[in-house]
Amino acid sequence: MSEEKEAEAAREALLELREIVFSYRMRGGGRLQVFDGLSLKVRYAEFLGIAGPSGCGKSTLIRIMAGLLKPEKGVVLFRGKPLEKPTPRIGVMFQNPALFPWYTVLENVLLALIHEKELSREEKIERARVFLDMVGLMGFETAYPAELSGGMKSRVALARALVAQPDLLLMDEPFSNLDPLTAISLRREIETLWQNQSLPPSSVVMVSHDIEELVELCDRIVVLTQRPVKVAGIVEVKLERPRSRRSEEFYRYVDEVYTLLS
Amino acid sequence: MAFGAVVVEVLAALGFSWARMTIALIISVIFSLLVGIPAAVNRIAEKIIIPVLDVLQSIPILSFFPIALYAFIMIHPIIGPELAAIFLIFTSQAWNIAFGVYEAVKLIPREIIEISKSLGLSRWRRIFDVYIPAAFPRIASNLPPSWANGLYFLVACEMITIGEARWRLFGIGTLSTSYILSGRIFEFALSLISVMIAIILTNLLVFIPLMRYGERYKFEERAAEVPRVWFEKPLKRFREALGGLRPERRFRVPSIELPKLRLVSKIVAVLLILLAASYTISAARPSFENLLRGASWILNGFAKLGLINPLVMIGFSLLRVSLAIVIALLWCIPMAILIYEKKVLENILIPTFQVIASFPATLILPLIAKLVVDAGLPLELGAILMILLGTQWYILFFLVDGMRSIPFEEEEVCRVLGITGLGKLRHLYLPRMLPSLVMGCLVAMGGGWNTLVVAERIVLEDFVWDVGNPGIGRILSIAVSMGDIPLLVASTIWMAGFIAILNRLFWRRLYEKAAELVGVAR
Repeated sequence: MSEEKEAEAAREALLELREIVFSYRMRGGGRLQVFDGLSLKVRYAEFLGIAGPSGCGKSTLIRIMAGLLKPEKGVVLFRGKPLEKPTPRIGVMFQNPALFPWYTVLENVLLALIHEKELSREEKIERARVFLDMVGLMGFETAYPAELSGGMKSRVALARALVAQPDLLLMDEPFSNLDPLTAISLRREIETLWQNQSLPPSSVVMVSHDIEELVELCDRIVVLTQRPVKVAGIVEVKLERPRSRRSEEFYRYVDEVYTLLS
Repeated sequence: MAFGAVVVEVLAALGFSWARMTIALIISVIFSLLVGIPAAVNRIAEKIIIPVLDVLQSIPILSFFPIALYAFIMIHPIIGPELAAIFLIFTSQAWNIAFGVYEAVKLIPREIIEISKSLGLSRWRRIFDVYIPAAFPRIASNLPPSWANGLYFLVACEMITIGEARWRLFGIGTLSTSYILSGRIFEFALSLISVMIAIILTNLLVFIPLMRYGERYKFEERAAEVPRVWFEKPLKRFREALGGLRPERRFRVPSIELPKLRLVSKIVAVLLILLAASYTISAARPSFENLLRGASWILNGFAKLGLINPLVMIGFSLLRVSLAIVIALLWCIPMAILIYEKKVLENILIPTFQVIASFPATLILPLIAKLVVDAGLPLELGAILMILLGTQWYILFFLVDGMRSIPFEEEEVCRVLGITGLGKLRHLYLPRMLPSLVMGCLVAMGGGWNTLVVAERIVLEDFVWDVGNPGIGRILSIAVSMGDIPLLVASTIWMAGFIAILNRLFWRRLYEKAAELVGVAR
């Protein structure tokens, strides 16, 4: 790709999927076609939601965006350049917080900073502390994951995903294992972080099966079809933030997403 | 000899043996990491390593003797025997740790690996930040069974006789044997008691703390700690220490299905091991020709054994092991029910049995052999008794665990319906017991084959215990003392092959049937 084109692509989108083809090998030799030429753009500074029937390949999509899975055909462009492998510039958060049980909260967050060679150990710890404070975990640095509640674990996972100051945060069902109250406060925190210009990340992509959650947080919601996955439609949510779930407009958007889903 | 001098002698011997075992255990852990991690993360490595490990773990330890002889004793006349003993102890400790590492790394949640990739951890860092910590709890919980296994074969490892070559190393195995052979019962008893105390202390001071430390490395959620009365904690630790001694853990019960090992891959593994063995033996003058000659020489043993002989031997051995298992069942089933029904007894009996079971039966085998011979009892009785000593605990502890899994509701239903006594035995206890009964018998059978190599024939200095009638363990032992490597290889393959076939065709199916019956998902 020429530099001009790269620059153009980088101007248009933070992350772009072009004509992605992907399939899983099944037992018995057959192939399960997941994506057959899917294209998608994640713009700068946007909160993008992804909805789709269960089992359609939303998690696979997140993993391709993270560079964890390589598409068979097509390219993933991150800031205009092909994404070859996972990078600290893209933070990831799964449904399972996936903390390393043998490290303390602080050590788990520090692990995301191993490539920041110019920082001294003290500076790294300082930075990790700032992010732990931001997610409300001040004072839990020396705790081990096994000693934390589910919500606290998710907060550590969030701090770890953000501490390297990525441009993009990918979240795969981040709230679905949490109790409703914890989920509400964590949603608020992520929204606030994302809205704050001086803090990472620039853009967020969130996969969820909770449509109301998507409408509450997202600028655009991409609705996917069954396999092989196509984009059924994109819903642009134009509501003032913070959004109230009680308004009629809110439910108009929810219905719109449901209509596309069915 | 003065009491003080005996104590010093026993303690010194214990120190030597424990040092050997510790070195072997450390090597086992390093070996397990080097082998288990690649097998878990790399598919090609897995295809080679797992079948080889699976074959190696089914080889009775006696069969490793010639390799120890050729690989170590030829090197140096003084250090060589020590290295050979450590190597032999290693062969009794390593395999279950290696499988533990493999399974633990294989079971790391997918997200953990993905996060470590997305954080940009290099392959090298992943080994230290992810794989080794993830394997830690499994290694820790495999240390006590490995230790017990090493102890079991300590006597054999410290007194090595291969053909002309004979030597004995100073250690608790040789010392206690020489005590009993010279009729010094008091000193013998003292050495047994000190072994018992040393086992309990090792578990209490080393293995249990390691296992506790490993707790937090596990991926599962940990139950909240309930505040306790002060004395409950030491009490619980002590019980855990005893729990660590439970013999059934010595036998690997896989937590994940091994990749279906095709017969082909197993045969390839056997050939690979044979090739390595012939290479070691021909290593003095390594050349392709010598290698071939070595291989054909080794395979000669099959011709020597013929086809009928080994089958007869296996038949006799199978009969002995089966009889021992039947005897074990006769006392273990009532005992398990008694323990289940009388909770008061449970608190006394279980720890008592655990302490007795933790004791390496091989240390008492010389005593039994001598008693049977001196009293003029049938030799077969002695052999069966020795097998029984090595196997009954597997059955008892599996049965006790099986009884514990009985849902309280079923117990209540029986009470409501007025089912008691024999009816309860038939309708509740036996069906519920069945899977653990089959599992216990399977594991006991595995242990039983291992004891055969000492129960059917054992050379203790100038005293030779020999059951007389044919036996596959006996022929192995004879091959070792004659230094007849071809015969040894052939009888090893006959024995390991038969065990593999028996497990696959009989026990596994039986277990699946039994599990189906009570709806326990495997």
